[in-house]
Amino acid sequence: MSTNALSARSIMNGLTRRLEIRMLGLALVIAISLSLLSPYFLTANNIFNILDQSVVVGIVAVGMTLVILTGGIDLSVGSVAGMTGIVLGLALQQMPIPLAILCAVLTGAGVGLVSGILTAYFGLAAFVVTLGVMAIARSLAYIFSGQTAISNIPEAMSNIVYTDVFGIPSNVLFLVGLYAVAWAYLTYTKGGRTIYAIGSNKEAARAAGLNVLFYSVLPYILSGALAAVAVTFSISQLLSADPLMGNQMELDAIAAVVIGGASLFGGRGTIIGTLIGVLIMVMIRNGLNLLGVSPFWQGSAIGSIIILALLVERLINWRSGR
Amino acid sequence: MTSEQPISTDIVLEARGVAKTFGKTRALVDAQLELRAGEVHGLLGANGAGKSTLSRVITCHIRRDAGEITYRGASFDAGSTRDALRAGIALVAQETSLAPDMSVLENIFLPELGRAGRLSYGSLRRRASDILGRLGHEHALPLDLEVRRLSAAQRQLVEIAKALALDANLLIFDEPTASLSPSEVERLFDIMARLRNDGRALVFVSHRLEEVFAITDRVTIMREGRTVASALPTSSLTQSDIIRHMVGQDIGSVYARADRQGVSSDAPVVFEVSHLSAPPAVRDISFSVRQGEILGLGGLVGAGRSEAAEAIFGLRPRAKGTIKVDGREISPQKPADAVRAGIGLVAEDRRVQSIVPDLTVRENLLLAHIGQHKGFGLGYAARNARMKHLIQSLDLPADRLDANLLTFSGGMQQKVVIARWLLLEPKILILDEPTKGVDIGTRASIYAILREIAAGGVAVVVISSDFEELLGLSDRIVVVSDGLSIADLPASVLDEEKLTLLAAPRTSTARNTDFLKQLTHDYGGAGVWALLEQDEVICLGAVQAKDALETGLQPGKASAIGATRIPVALQQRAPHFVTEEAGDRATLLLPMRSRRGNDLGWIGLTLPTSADLPPPELIAARVAALHAAD
Repeated sequence: MSTNALSARSIMNGLTRRLEIRMLGLALVIAISLSLLSPYFLTANNIFNILDQSVVVGIVAVGMTLVILTGGIDLSVGSVAGMTGIVLGLALQQMPIPLAILCAVLTGAGVGLVSGILTAYFGLAAFVVTLGVMAIARSLAYIFSGQTAISNIPEAMSNIVYTDVFGIPSNVLFLVGLYAVAWAYLTYTKGGRTIYAIGSNKEAARAAGLNVLFYSVLPYILSGALAAVAVTFSISQLLSADPLMGNQMELDAIAAVVIGGASLFGGRGTIIGTLIGVLIMVMIRNGLNLLGVSPFWQGSAIGSIIILALLVERLINWRSGR
Repeated sequence: MTSEQPISTDIVLEARGVAKTFGKTRALVDAQLELRAGEVHGLLGANGAGKSTLSRVITCHIRRDAGEITYRGASFDAGSTRDALRAGIALVAQETSLAPDMSVLENIFLPELGRAGRLSYGSLRRRASDILGRLGHEHALPLDLEVRRLSAAQRQLVEIAKALALDANLLIFDEPTASLSPSEVERLFDIMARLRNDGRALVFVSHRLEEVFAITDRVTIMREGRTVASALPTSSLTQSDIIRHMVGQDIGSVYARADRQGVSSDAPVVFEVSHLSAPPAVRDISFSVRQGEILGLGGLVGAGRSEAAEAIFGLRPRAKGTIKVDGREISPQKPADAVRAGIGLVAEDRRVQSIVPDLTVRENLLLAHIGQHKGFGLGYAARNARMKHLIQSLDLPADRLDANLLTFSGGMQQKVVIARWLLLEPKILILDEPTKGVDIGTRASIYAILREIAAGGVAVVVISSDFEELLGLSDRIVVVSDGLSIADLPASVLDEEKLTLLAAPRTSTARNTDFLKQLTHDYGGAGVWALLEQDEVICLGAVQAKDALETGLQPGKASAIGATRIPVALQQRAPHFVTEEAGDRATLLLPMRSRRGNDLGWIGLTLPTSADLPPPELIAARVAALHAAD
């Protein structure tokens, strides 16, 4: 057996035992209680619904996981989604679909590059930089769009979402594929391990000769690009690009990452945990909708669950003497 | 130099059976301590023996797991450092707990700032100068200066004043002399003696034995978390008694340099640093290392050694200077560049600069490999063989490679960090305080490893403030003081005393150099300040008037007495001018001592015999006056 496999397994052992298993347990408890409360919850239809609703926030949460693993944060993803959505909408008027998507993704990546350089090279606080970028991107979304939604999106865009492969919707398949790639990247590659090392102890990573600058910027680039990918799925579902798209998406993404067990100080967390976090968030929302709970109460429910999950985690860590 | 007055028998504090475990490390197993009023109590032990942990348990920085502490006759169980301070127990820590941007006055009364009600700066000012007066430093410390502008010694003074402002009657000094010059140490001891005579109990944590003998009345010795000798009168002990207690064996074996012959002088120079400067800490440092050589970089904490290593390694910008590896100049801008050139650095602060806590032991070991790996994947397989070899030869726990590195002892952590670099097979390995926080057993094995890799052809640079370690380990020692490399000497001609003198900050040696300047100004000729051995002389300073005769001595260099131009005088060491065989020059040599009687070397004045030789008594009186006021 190779060292790779060994170390991968060890990492899985070390981290899952502590975090994801617990969060998976929480996800199951929520799923079971919701299925007891609502007969619709466990129907195939609803399960696909949950998965479908997980796609957009799930994609953004991958980028957010990378950023948070380095010890940063990206508050701009929602606004970048909004802005790149408008870019996509405008580009679709001029060029074929693949090129238009490429345009949007490159725009997102470019915005991420700026945030990344400002934080990693100039050492500005990620919170403040991405807060600024958040405001700028949203304002540009309004300016580019002329304050109105772009609704003449080509019908062909909907193929992106509504094509089934082996009976699975393509957007769900994309999400699964993205998580598999991200997991492999973080576990088996130099870059992935460097991202963990940077978040865990940046100074030590630098002193060991790791390329700290590059791998600190990369997560922001990917986060921006993935925000554009996420909004592409939204637009292909709605066939409309609104400058308000992605509003407060950063909060859902950060919540998913944190529920998934990542530390906001960096270095700790896994992509599987994030996936579980996303599912927990979406399930709660879906379940509350099924139960007919007022949408105004949903924020309270989700907020309480985030805080409770973290509190339980902290209490367990105290117990084990950390 | 022990107590001038009998120690009272009032027991101030008694600790019994104190235990403390951090994770899997048992820092304290069964620690005892008994302190009386009016004594300086030495708390001794090797690195990792538990001295600092015990100190911090007493001052409530750390909660004990078990054990009894009685303080002034009552069971003592304060919850926080604040409670301990209120009870009169204060810690004068090595790394001070001062607020750097606040003034001296504010720092002295920092604990009072948290008290309700109005503060009167006028009365605080009066109390502060009263306290400093009691310490004999009334005017030495401007009360309005910001603390970050102070020297290490001055900060310590502020710490002590802060403790006295709370009327502490038990003060723990945790390695207070680590970054002080010899004269500053004497001043500190003076203060400690005053506090003792006031009836306070003082704990002096140290591993510098000569200081222990100079200041303590009784000592408690710890080893591996246990008290192995409790409250023995210092006067009843010899150095070797103490070492035996500290180590549990004779220390001679630790360095095991018996069969070691020096590196041959025709071994190629692998690593050469010249005129390195990285302001403000590094001003002008040069040294070179031959293949297979262990070079020691000695000096006090803060002399600029760690900063020099960081500048070489690309962790700190350089202003000037060249770095050559195998004769080829390199200019690393970041550590990755230095690593590519074949340099490895085991940094001083393991926790901050080396360990990545969220990665496993294995990944920590492979971290530098990841930095150098060109591919997209991990490439661990390519290092498998070498890794197996290292795990075996460094005695790393092969079955716990997936654990968290922080659960291992300091020694094991250090071995993993060293192995991280050895995995890359570097040409040059720089180690900054490699045995800090490492237990004595592992220290010996780290020394053995360094020997072995040096023998394998690696140029090894060791930075250490532990002079005994430096002397035991190095082939050659470059002494750094105030950012300058001031001496480059074979370890065989040095001992701890000489290193202490050489390493003293320039500010404290400036007086001696100024004195040489005055001498040569008044009488002409050449003045030297040197250490004399049987047949060797180490020059600490040299000043020449115009057209003076050569003495053949160069600052920072050792020479055989026979090879100098004043061999007869250096041999005779007579209290009068001694004329050389050629008859052209005469030299007066006078020993110089500090007020406490410490040997500070010799002052020499060489004049042409044709000149009017001044009366030796006159010069002797001036030499004697030089350090009388310390």
